[in-house]
Amino acid sequence: MTQLTVEAAARTFPRAHAYRLRNSRASGVALVVLLLGLWEASARLGIVQSTNWPPFSAVMVALYSSIVDGELLPIIVSTLWRLARGYVLGSACGVVLGFAIALNRPARLMLLPTIELLRPIPIPAIIPPLIFLMGLDDKLRLFAIAFATFFPVVLNTLAGVRAVEPVYRQVAQTFGVPRWKTLGCVVFPASLPFILAGLRTSLGLAFVVTVIAEMIVGEQGIGYYLVTMEFAMRTAEMYAGIILVTCIAYLLNCAFVAWEAHAIRWARLIEEMRGES
Amino acid sequence: MTLAAARSTKAGAAPPAAGGRLRVEGIAKSFLGPTGGAIAAIDAVSLDVAPGEFLAIVGPSGCGKSTLLQVIAGLMPPSGGTVRLGDRDVTGEPAHMVYLFQQYSRSLLPWMTVADNVMFAFRHRIKLRRAAAVARCRDYLAMVGLADVADHYPWQLSGGMQQRVAIARALAAEPQVLLMDEPFSSVDALTRLDLHSLILELWTQKRFTAVLVTHDVDEAIFLADRVAVLTQRPATVTEVIETRLPRPRQSIETRESAAFLALRHRLLSYLLSRGGDTPHA
Amino acid sequence: MRNLGAKAFAIGAGGIVPIGLLLCLEVAARSKLVDPTFLPPPSAILATVWGIIVSGKFAAPLAQTILFLFTGYGIGCAAAIALGILMGYSRVIYNLFEPLTELLRPLPKAALLPVLILFLGLGAKMEITIVALGCFFPVLINTLQGVRAVEPTMINTARTFGHGTFAIWRRILVPASAPYILAGMRISLGLGLILVVTAEMIAGTGGLGDAILSAQRTFLVKESYAWLVVLAVLGLLLTALFSWLERKIAFWNAPSVG
Repeated sequence: MTQLTVEAAARTFPRAHAYRLRNSRASGVALVVLLLGLWEASARLGIVQSTNWPPFSAVMVALYSSIVDGELLPIIVSTLWRLARGYVLGSACGVVLGFAIALNRPARLMLLPTIELLRPIPIPAIIPPLIFLMGLDDKLRLFAIAFATFFPVVLNTLAGVRAVEPVYRQVAQTFGVPRWKTLGCVVFPASLPFILAGLRTSLGLAFVVTVIAEMIVGEQGIGYYLVTMEFAMRTAEMYAGIILVTCIAYLLNCAFVAWEAHAIRWARLIEEMRGES
Repeated sequence: MTLAAARSTKAGAAPPAAGGRLRVEGIAKSFLGPTGGAIAAIDAVSLDVAPGEFLAIVGPSGCGKSTLLQVIAGLMPPSGGTVRLGDRDVTGEPAHMVYLFQQYSRSLLPWMTVADNVMFAFRHRIKLRRAAAVARCRDYLAMVGLADVADHYPWQLSGGMQQRVAIARALAAEPQVLLMDEPFSSVDALTRLDLHSLILELWTQKRFTAVLVTHDVDEAIFLADRVAVLTQRPATVTEVIETRLPRPRQSIETRESAAFLALRHRLLSYLLSRGGDTPHA
Repeated sequence: MRNLGAKAFAIGAGGIVPIGLLLCLEVAARSKLVDPTFLPPPSAILATVWGIIVSGKFAAPLAQTILFLFTGYGIGCAAAIALGILMGYSRVIYNLFEPLTELLRPLPKAALLPVLILFLGLGAKMEITIVALGCFFPVLINTLQGVRAVEPTMINTARTFGHGTFAIWRRILVPASAPYILAGMRISLGLGLILVVTAEMIAGTGGLGDAILSAQRTFLVKESYAWLVVLAVLGLLLTALFSWLERKIAFWNAPSVG
């Protein structure tokens, strides 16, 4: 839900007013420009205390030079690599377990309560105790990221498999399709919309947890960079880092949404057609 | 390829030998009602269908026709009675019987192309190399006049075309018995007449046993050799009428013939008169 | 009778895994399979938890965490609901704020911690602010979606009957979009808890997050796990409380997934 853009949320229901979004956004864009202008002006004119409040232009310069001079680039790569490993690990476990629970009643009775029990635990809280077990290296951070990724994925996979149209299973049944083929060729594609929605939510969450983990037990990555810059009072670099984090989060989400739209275009189109009929 | 052109194509090899006799004996099916008691949907239905015969089952909506058909197809276990095909009981996954769904648009798997959908019906049973399988696919699609949409997706097609794909898919599995659950109720009237002719063509060619469930009396009489009448819940077969109309049946002429109209009159009066007394469970 | 048996079975089956796990851990720690200095036996952890409760030590951090969480959560949700309704109802306001909110939404709010620390120091103000900021966006998005889902004809009908804007809001918009708003608030609750704990860990000025981290830094292993248990129980209780409230307010809406 959090990854829905504001615009998409506004356009959710076709019966809502049709918005001329393109040419009416002018006032909003003007507001953003105005705020940035105020930021720049207040900093340059010394209205706000100077060390914590660098001008926006200085931030942009710092952003550019940090990337170009190479300081930030390996840091970004480090963060993304960490994110990728934790995300894949957590997602894989989530999908596999989701299927297992959905298709097997004893498994569901045994595992689902444990999952529901563990879900509300705030991720940062498990990190310090686990330091004792896993030390301060990447294993700990990867576990935290995977842990966070796991829950939306497993629950969405579970919901997706159970939501598969009974007709699809009956089609496989009437043609005498063996069970394994039904699972792979019917149940799995049919539950993909749910699974991908869970993966999308998890991606945003995983990135947040990556940054947080790097802030709490950091020695690498963008989270650690932000905290370091804050200690060192290098505020322009700090703001630059924040902007960078925002951009990465945005791009990750965009890329995922684009891929998702392609992978399950049949689901979108069916919904549209069913909405019209 | 238009439907008319498809009809003039003799696609496929020699028709397979007709399968065994379909015997439905004393089938009953009840469900758990909202208050926990059992609601009998079907009560002791017996039918005997000769190989290669076309049987239609008519009844008012909600009388349990679909349920009956699904039980015969093996998609649902009966609460009582047996279904036998030839010399074997039908339990669980049916071989040789294919069920044609009422919601054809939902029965075509939307993440597969039309060709893949048709292949889905037989790929696991008939081992063929991909090229041969695709060719077989196209043959069946050609039979229903849709060879050129093989690479489209089902949701790109109109309702009538989707139903034709579903029919092609069903036939590709080479069933002995084809069970059709109100397959033409959601298409417009003209498409329906076209599909009637198509089904008769294919049935004549392939010689499978056909069981059609419908609420449309005209359709039942036009297509079938015999028409069975199902009452309201709990459903039982109260009449089985032989149509004895000459084949091949003509879309317009047969429907205007005196024999047809007489049958129609007889069936409709019967159904409407029985509609008055609705037995409650 | 049958239902009761089924329920008991379900509870029993559900308990197998956690209890089994705990038993394994207990045995592993006691038999020195795992170094008990790094992973104490669950019985010792529970004893420590009990000690924390009995001695009253749990009160101050727990109270601080709850206070900061709820304050920030309340502010964030209230602001988001207000703005969401305004944006959903008025095209002018929507156009004015949409680019700004769209720019700020992808920012992981935890990344703002360093900034807020610089401006607001390490105390209550900073923690409440970060929670408020984090809770704001999910609720905003969902409120917007909920308001947009209300049939325009409903609103127009109310207008023709002479209802003023405020009345329309109160009688139609808010109740109809309540399920969506609640779904957003549920997400924000989880997010807020994560943020308050993170802020406490980084600031080190009290609260459950600080307790966990401090215990870890001073190598009080059992205490570290014990505080985690307290926090986990808090999380569970909050989730259960929210589900209960959700059922009371919008009983037609099943608890959301994920």
